[in-house]
Amino acid sequence: MAIVQPERIAKFLAVVRYELLWNIRKKKFLGMLIVAFALTTLSLAGGHIVSAITGNPVEPDMNFVIDSNLGLGGFGFFLFAIVTIMNTISGEFESGTIVPLLAKPVSRTTIFFGKLFAAFLTLLATYCFLMVYMAIGGTVIYGPQSNLHLLPLSLAGALFSTFVWISIVLLIGTIFKSSLIAALGALGIWFGTNIIGSILGVLSGQGWILTYIPGSGNTGFVGESPQIGFPVSTGTDSIGPNLVNYILHPSWIVTYFKINFSGSTPGQIFGEELYSEPLSIVIFTSVAVALVYLIAFVGISWYLFKRAQVAE
Amino acid sequence: MAPAIETVNLTKKYGSLIAVNNLNLSVEVGTIHGFLGPNGAGKTTTIKMLVGLLKPDGGSAKILGNRIGWDKPNLRSKVGYMPELPKLPKHLKGNELLDLYGRMYGITKDKRLKQVPTLIDLVGLKGRENDLIGKYSKGMQQRLGLAQALLNEPKLVILDEPSLGLDPIGMVEVRDIIKKLAGEGITTFLSSHLLHEVEQICTHVTIINKGVAMASGTIKQIAAKLTGSFAVEVEVDKFSEAVISNLRKLPVVKDIIREGKKLLINLKTRDDARSEVSQAIAAAGGIVISIDLRGESLEDIFLRLLDKDKVTAHGRV
Ligand SMILES: Nc1ncnc2c1ncn2[C@@H]1O[C@H](COP(=O)(O)OP(=O)(O)OP(=O)(O)O)[C@@H](O)[C@H]1O
Ligand SMILES: [Mg+2]
Repeated sequence: MAIVQPERIAKFLAVVRYELLWNIRKKKFLGMLIVAFALTTLSLAGGHIVSAITGNPVEPDMNFVIDSNLGLGGFGFFLFAIVTIMNTISGEFESGTIVPLLAKPVSRTTIFFGKLFAAFLTLLATYCFLMVYMAIGGTVIYGPQSNLHLLPLSLAGALFSTFVWISIVLLIGTIFKSSLIAALGALGIWFGTNIIGSILGVLSGQGWILTYIPGSGNTGFVGESPQIGFPVSTGTDSIGPNLVNYILHPSWIVTYFKINFSGSTPGQIFGEELYSEPLSIVIFTSVAVALVYLIAFVGISWYLFKRAQVAE
Repeated sequence: MAPAIETVNLTKKYGSLIAVNNLNLSVEVGTIHGFLGPNGAGKTTTIKMLVGLLKPDGGSAKILGNRIGWDKPNLRSKVGYMPELPKLPKHLKGNELLDLYGRMYGITKDKRLKQVPTLIDLVGLKGRENDLIGKYSKGMQQRLGLAQALLNEPKLVILDEPSLGLDPIGMVEVRDIIKKLAGEGITTFLSSHLLHEVEQICTHVTIINKGVAMASGTIKQIAAKLTGSFAVEVEVDKFSEAVISNLRKLPVVKDIIREGKKLLINLKTRDDARSEVSQAIAAAGGIVISIDLRGESLEDIFLRLLDKDKVTAHGRV
C-alpha cells in the first residue's frame, strides 16, 4: 500500500509529458523565456542607463547578482504565475479536451498533480535560465561576483514565492473554468493586496497585517534607523532574498517603525519603534504563511477538480 | 453473463430539467446496441454518466459488471469512449496523441509502436498522422476520436454519435469498423439520431425521448412489437362513403386514413388483407386503381413514438 505502483508513476509521467508538450507547443515556454530575458536584461542594463544619464561610469558591484533576486520583484512572480498556470485546468475545460482526457484510466488526482508538476518544471526551467543569464550578465557588467553559490537559494525562494500566486490563479481557474477570469481575478487580488492593502495597512498603522497576505508584506529595517538601515520585507515575495541574507548575516534583527504622515518633514515619516524580531522569525513566518496559502488553495483546487462534472 | 451495460432508474437533472428520467437500460455482451433518440433526448447525458463525466442524481449503473462510481480509473481501462464531436488537443500530432493516451492506458512502448500505426490505418488517417490535430478537418478529428477509443483494446466501446460530421464514405467506413469490432466479440454501444444508421449496423436498439426509454430490444423485436400489423394502401376511383363503411365492417381493419383518392388502412394483424379490402371496396361500387401492402418501418415507429409523446405532452399542458 505504502509503495506507489510503478504503473501509477508511468501514468503520472504521461500526464506530465502531455502537459509539457502543451507548454512547449503553445509557445508558453518560449513566451516565458522571452519575458524572463526582457526582465533580466532590464535589471542588468539599469546601471548603464543611470550612468548614461548621470555621466558617472558603472561602478563594479560584487553583490549585484545576489542582491537582484533574479531580477524579479513581486509583479514578476505574479506575472510568471499567471503565464504558467492560467490555462492548466481551465483551458482543458474551455477547449473540451478534458472530456477524452478524463475518460482515460488515470485518476483525477494524478491528472491534477501531473499538470501541477509540469507547471513546476516549466517554471523551474525558466528561472534556471534567468539565473544563469543574470549571473553571466552581472559578471560582465559589474565585475566578478561574490556569493554566487547562494543563487540556488534565490531560485528556490523565487519558485516558492511564485507558487503562492500560482495556487491563487489555479483556484480561480478551477472554480470558474475560465482562463480569462483566472488571470483577471488574480490581477484583482494582486492589486487589492499589494497596492490597496499596502496603502491601507500603512495608513492605519497596521502594517503587520501585510505579513499574512500573499505579496510584498510589511517592511522593517536592519540597523540603527530606517534612514540608513537595510530594508527587509516580510512578504511571501521576499523569501528568496531573506534566505540569502540570513545565510550571510544570521544575527540580523528586523525592526518595524510607525509611520507618521501628518506634520512630519520629508524623510522623517518614520516614527517610534514598534517591535523587533530576528530575521529567522521573519523567514519562518513568511514560509509558514506561503505554505498555508499554497496548501489550502492547491488543496481546494484539487478537491474541486476531483468533483468537477463535465456538463458542456 | 452480466450485461456490458446495465442501468437501473438512472436519472440526471439539470436544474429543473430532467435530462435522463429513470432509465433502465441493458446492453448484452457482444451486441451492437443502438441508442436512438432525437436531439436533446438525453443520449449524451446518459453516456457521460456511464463514463464518469457526470454524476447521476438517482439510480445506479453497472459497466462490465462493476458499479460505476466516481473517478474509478480501473473501470475506464476496459472501456473505449468516443465523445460526441471529440475535442482533441490541437497542438499535438495525431500519432502523438495516440501515443500519449496509450501511455495513460499503461500500454507498453512496444505495443504502442504497433498499435498506433494500426489504428491510424484503420480509421483512414494514414499519411496525416504527423500533422497537427489543429489542421485536421472535422471528419478527421472524428476519425481520430474513434481511434483513441480503441487504443486499449476495450471490451466495451461507447460511441456518442460516431458518424456525426462524416461524409458518406466515412460513414460506411465507420460502420464497417464497428461491425468488425463486433466480429471480435467487442460490445458496442452507440448513440445516434439517424434511424437508418441504427437499422443498418445495430443488432439491438433502445429508443429514448425526453430522457425516457420508449422501447428496447432487438431491431426485429422492436419493429414487430410496435408495428404488430401491416397496413394496406389503396387508390380508389368512384369513391363514396359506402366504401369507408364497408371497410370498417371488416374485422381486420383497425382504422382508415383518407387523403383524397388514397386510403391508408391500418390492419390489426400482420396478414395480407388485400383481397378482402378490394372486395369490400368493389362491393361499395369503388374501383381499385392500385393496392399495396405496407409494413411499418423502424422510421415510422420512431416518428410515431415521438409523435405519441408529443400528443400526450400537449394533452398535459
Ligand atoms: N450542460 C447542460 N446544462 C443544462 N442542460 C443541459 C446541459 N447539457 C444538456 N442539457 C439538456 O439535457 C437534455 C439532454 O441533452 P443531451 O445532450 O443528453 O441530448 P442528446 O440526446 O445527446 O442530443 P443530441 O442528439 O443533440 O446530441 C437536453 O434537453 C439538453 O438541453
Ligand atoms: Mg448528444
